[in-house]
Order: sequence, then structure tokens, then C-alpha cells
Amino acid sequence: MNTQRPYIFLLKITLFSLILSALPFNEVVLDMSPFWMLLLFTYWLIYFPVKGSLFIALILGTLLDILQGDLLGQNALALILASLFINNVKQSFHVSNLSTQQVYVFFSSCIYLVFFLLTHVLMHGTGNNYYLLLAPFTSALFWPVIRFSLAKCRHQ
Amino acid sequence: MNFFKTFIPVIIAIFLILFDYKFSYLNNLRQGVATLISPVYMLVSLPEKLYTWINEQGTGKDQLLSDNQNLNAQLLKLKAQLQQTEQLALENTKLKSLLNSSHTLQQAKFSLARVEHIRRSRLKKQLIINKGSNDQLHIGQVALGAQGVVGQITELTPTSASILMASDPTQYIPVKSARNGVQAISQGLAENQYRLRLNFVDPDLDIKTGDLFLTSSLGGKFPDGYPVGRVIHVEQHKDESFLHVILAPIQQISDLEFVIILEKS
Repeated sequence: MNTQRPYIFLLKITLFSLILSALPFNEVVLDMSPFWMLLLFTYWLIYFPVKGSLFIALILGTLLDILQGDLLGQNALALILASLFINNVKQSFHVSNLSTQQVYVFFSSCIYLVFFLLTHVLMHGTGNNYYLLLAPFTSALFWPVIRFSLAKCRHQ
Repeated sequence: MNFFKTFIPVIIAIFLILFDYKFSYLNNLRQGVATLISPVYMLVSLPEKLYTWINEQGTGKDQLLSDNQNLNAQLLKLKAQLQQTEQLALENTKLKSLLNSSHTLQQAKFSLARVEHIRRSRLKKQLIINKGSNDQLHIGQVALGAQGVVGQITELTPTSASILMASDPTQYIPVKSARNGVQAISQGLAENQYRLRLNFVDPDLDIKTGDLFLTSSLGGKFPDGYPVGRVIHVEQHKDESFLHVILAPIQQISDLEFVIILEKS
């Protein structure tokens, strides 16, 4: 594989996840929708081993913050820490079956959610958006779809 | 080495959070990148625009005539109401000149913009309008709907602008009661609740359910006298020295198609 390809693929999935994150769903669907950027970036982390992945997570998270008008760094911090978890279980993730991968995705989404909410609570006070708590479940549920779709795109 | 590789991005992210929350140094970076990625929103709102366009093309002549008639009738009504308002303004000016008051009502200049898209993240909601810095809009301008205050422009690209809703927790608006002039600061409640609360209201002040609160020119950030919200809940908590007052915003955003952007005086 050509060395440029991981980054071209990253560019494509970044654009795709930004579009998915900007889709005008209704509030409940939006709250419980998967963390698209995390899901797509997880795939890239697992199947395209490159150095400096946490810096890439920082850039992607910042892009998402700007796209959604969130506090700069809020998604970035969450994405970096979730990616750190994925990087640590990368070897095991690669050889695991689909359901074990879903469990890993669930845990990384939980880390994402915790830090995303923690930043919000520390900066703006508490909130009670309970549908948000479903996002790690939907992320895990959507993982097989993302994995197979991206695998198809990768081999084209 | 590995330690630095891991922690430098984390430190940068924390630095970004703190700087974006406390200062506005990173606004230029935000504007620049927002301009770069604004085509994403254009792409996402394309089906909706196409649907509107097809709908408009398919509107029959009879429908247009009937709409025109209705709008003319509405315009006539509003003109009649405006005459009353102008009469009141005139009386107000006379009374103020009698009292030697230096405060005068200013004629507001405004521009009209179409709501392109509602930008929702999990914890924030903003309106994207079809005008931007190319149309001489500026950060901080106030957006109004037909019923009341919508919010303030917080982000600009050459062709679009985003409006932070009055109900956002980071939005503070100086307000006063239309009934008795009681002053307070309103702040949005968290996330999806679309409610406002009044901060630092003394328990002795006269605030009742149903009171209308208008913008106050205190601080010079907002123009005077535009409806913000109506009181739906007043409560005195035992352990707090201020009243707990909740407002329902006057302007609903679900059916908002156009907004008026007030020019900065």
C-alpha cells in the first residue's frame, strides 16, 4: 500500500463523519445517535497504523467543535482520550470477533461521553439530557455497519 | 518520549478549552476554519433547499394570489398598529422633553435574513442564516423574530452567520419587567430545555407568573424594549438568598423562517 493512502482515506472519512455529524436530526435522535467521528476514527486507528494518531484526534475533534459550535477542545479532548483507549487495546481489537469489538467500542464511547459531559458540566453547570447516555449503546450497535462499509470502501 | 506524545495533545486540548471559555483570542482561528468547513452545512441543507425550491415552483397562481391578499390584509393591520405605536412614541418624547430626560428612542435599522439550518450539537443549538460578513454583518448583532429576541450572532463566515440562542447557557441578556421595570440578568438553562432563568433577583422584588420581560439597554449590549420571555415559575428556595425565576422564551424557533438582524447603534 502506498504511504499516502492512509491519509487519503482519513480525509475521506473525516469529510464523511463531518457530514454525518451535521445531519439535521431531531433532538432525541441527535442525542442518542452514535459518536460518528469516534466510530470512523476507530476504524482508521485499527486498520491504518500510523504514528501521531493522538495529534490527528486533536485536529479532528477541533474540526468537530468548530462545525457544531461547541467549546473549542471539548470534542477534541474526548476524542483523544477515547483514541488512547483504542490504541491500548489495538492488538486485541484487531483479532477479536465482532461482538468483542462492539464491547471495546462501547467502552471507548463511554470514555468519550464522560469527558465530553465533564467539560460541559465544569464550564456551564449541570444538565439533564438523559438521551445522551444512550449514545455509547448506539455507537456499539452501529460499529458492524461502519466496519463493513469502510472495509468495502478501503478495498475499492 | 511516549509520555510527551500522549500528553501533549491532551494538554493542547485543555488549553483550547480554557482559552475558548475565558478569552476570545481563538475567535480568528474559529472563523477561519468555520469558513473552510462551511460547505459541509451547504451540502447537508441541500435536500431541504431542493424541497423548498420544488415546492415554490409548484405553487399555483391562485395560491400566490390568496397569499398576497392575506399578506396585504396583515400589512394593513400592522400599519394601523404602527400608527398607534408612533403616537405613543411621540407622547413619550414630549413627556421626556418635559422631564428634561436625555434618553431618546432610537430608530432601529435592520436587515432580513433567512434561516438556512438549525445547527444542533448534543449540548448546543444554533441557527445558521444566509447572510454573513459579505453582507456587513458583525459578531454581537442581535437577531429578532416576529415575536421577540432570538439571540446574538456569534460566528461569521463570508456567506453565513450563526446565531447563539437566547436560551443557551452561555448567553446572558440584561432584562427588565414590562409591568414594573424590575431589572435582572437572564441566562439560558442547559441544553434542550429551551427556558431562561433570571439571576440575582432580590426576594423582595415584585415578580409574578405571567410577567413579560423585555431587553434592557443596561451594558449597551442589547437594544431596549424587545420581548425576551414570560415568567412561568417563581420560587424562593430556603437556602438561597435570591429568587428562582424561570422564563419561557417568547420567540419559538421551530417555525422560524426569517430573522431580523438589528444593526449596531
